[in-house]
Amino acid sequence: MGYVLDGLRQGAALLLPPGREILEIIALSLAVSGTATALAAMAAIPAALFLALKDFRFKRLLVGLVNTAMAVPAVLIGLLVYGLVSRRGPLGPLGLLFTPGAMVIAQALLAFPLMTALALAALKGVARDARDLALSLGADRRQLAWAVIRQGRFAFLTAVIAGFSRVIGETGMTLMVGGNIKGQTRVLTTAISLETMKGNFEIGIALGIVLLLAALAINIALQAAQGK
Amino acid sequence: MMEVRVENLGRAVQGKRILEGIDLEISPGAVHVILGPNGAGKSTLLRLLGLLDRPDRGEIFLDGRKLSAMGRNERTRLRRRCGFVFQAPLLLAASVEANLRFGARLRGMRLAAGAVGEVLERTGLAGREAQDARLLSGGEKQRLQLARVLLLDPDLVLLDEPTANLDPLSVKNIETAIAQLAGAGKTVVMATHNLIQARLLAGKVFFLKQGRLAQAGSAAEVLSRPLSLDIAEFSAAENILSGTLARRGGGTVLNCGPLAIEVVSERAAGKAAAVIRPEDILVSPRPIASSARNSFRGTVLTLADLGAVIALSVDCSGVLFSVFLTRVSCAQMGLAAGSDVTLTFKATSVRLFPQD
Repeated sequence: MGYVLDGLRQGAALLLPPGREILEIIALSLAVSGTATALAAMAAIPAALFLALKDFRFKRLLVGLVNTAMAVPAVLIGLLVYGLVSRRGPLGPLGLLFTPGAMVIAQALLAFPLMTALALAALKGVARDARDLALSLGADRRQLAWAVIRQGRFAFLTAVIAGFSRVIGETGMTLMVGGNIKGQTRVLTTAISLETMKGNFEIGIALGIVLLLAALAINIALQAAQGK
Repeated sequence: MMEVRVENLGRAVQGKRILEGIDLEISPGAVHVILGPNGAGKSTLLRLLGLLDRPDRGEIFLDGRKLSAMGRNERTRLRRRCGFVFQAPLLLAASVEANLRFGARLRGMRLAAGAVGEVLERTGLAGREAQDARLLSGGEKQRLQLARVLLLDPDLVLLDEPTANLDPLSVKNIETAIAQLAGAGKTVVMATHNLIQARLLAGKVFFLKQGRLAQAGSAAEVLSRPLSLDIAEFSAAENILSGTLARRGGGTVLNCGPLAIEVVSERAAGKAAAVIRPEDILVSPRPIASSARNSFRGTVLTLADLGAVIALSVDCSGVLFSVFLTRVSCAQMGLAAGSDVTLTFKATSVRLFPQD
């Protein structure tokens, strides 16, 4: 127990004030996961709206696929993205392997099905009612889009929170495509994993605290935006 | 007012046909009632008429113009001439007044001073402007939906079971408003499965069954002379008896248990169902001499006050009949549960539907 408590104490000390390296790791984590979540949201929100509002053949199949995709292990997505961006892969010429770009792609792919499925579940009922109400009262196309998005904003926020939480805490996949290169692709999770294995338990603890705080802060901010 | 005509209209959702081959015409100044059991396609039809969904077959003509040939802007303009009352009230999570003004804002309408207060008055919600719409009762929410439509003063008013599961006061209020709308020359279409309401309000009735138009005509026609047994059953032609046809004397009878009911029929064999409208049955304390061929003794089981009339259920040797009486004649005869009465009706009042 003393070992853990010592770790906590030393970890906290490392953060007061945080060193340059830790700050860089925090900044990169937020930038990579934030960008990935934003990209995934740009695809997931329209996809969820489309699935919630439109009836078409094979819709159930498609929703089933999205739900299945949610369960795909991150490491498989890592494998896929690795294949895509590695030098001999189709995106090889872009030189993305072991760059933040590859990490963003992998994290966005990981978040997309989760965010689509969550937004869709939250939109059910809300989106159609909002559409019916606005249309019946004479909304034009722009007013209709606005009314549905307004009514669906909680659904989208829920998806964004869940998506961001999922990707900022992801380790294995991010390590595979990012490489955990010091000063370039080292993020909170990969750093914790590395430092702990190197025996630097207190640094792991310090970064773990930061990760927790970051997740907490984002969640509080988003909850506040929801007005709850 | 708006003229609505529909030709061969159909809609399928995810491969399942909901509506098929609907032809109908709707003109201003009367309440048009879409009747039919659950799942018959009533709501789907109303939604197509309100331009909330697009048909995948057939055509809708609004004021003679083809819907399919219209651009988006024209459809929006037409939608702005419609008002829709949903079965489950759709309201904003906002005050009563905000809900009322929302439609006017979308339409870019300038409301006259006092317009909001006036429609609230008409719908029995006077003084409720500031209340949170979510906290209204079911009946109040439905009246708020109606108030919203009244405020927009549309030419075509579509109502989807506006009084289902509401308190009697709300029902009365809504029915009155519907009748007034038709009286003011609006085109009114209402889906319901409340027959008393259909009889009360309907100028014209469309009976839907499994997505098809089974019968159309005046309320009296459809409800009194149903074209098929299921329309009759649904239309609460309360007396539906089944039995076997047989010859007797010079005529034909339908044997229903112990009763032999004289009917007019070309067939004189096989199973058949008979429908007798409650208002075609004469009730008397004692047997009366008349030309009517059917006369049965029975005992009054229950009396139900329907407002305008009293509905009696009478047991004739184990066969139950439902009959309507005015309040006055019921009192004059001193009828009560347990009274012995005679039921008399003509052979021509019995509508027969072969069952094999």
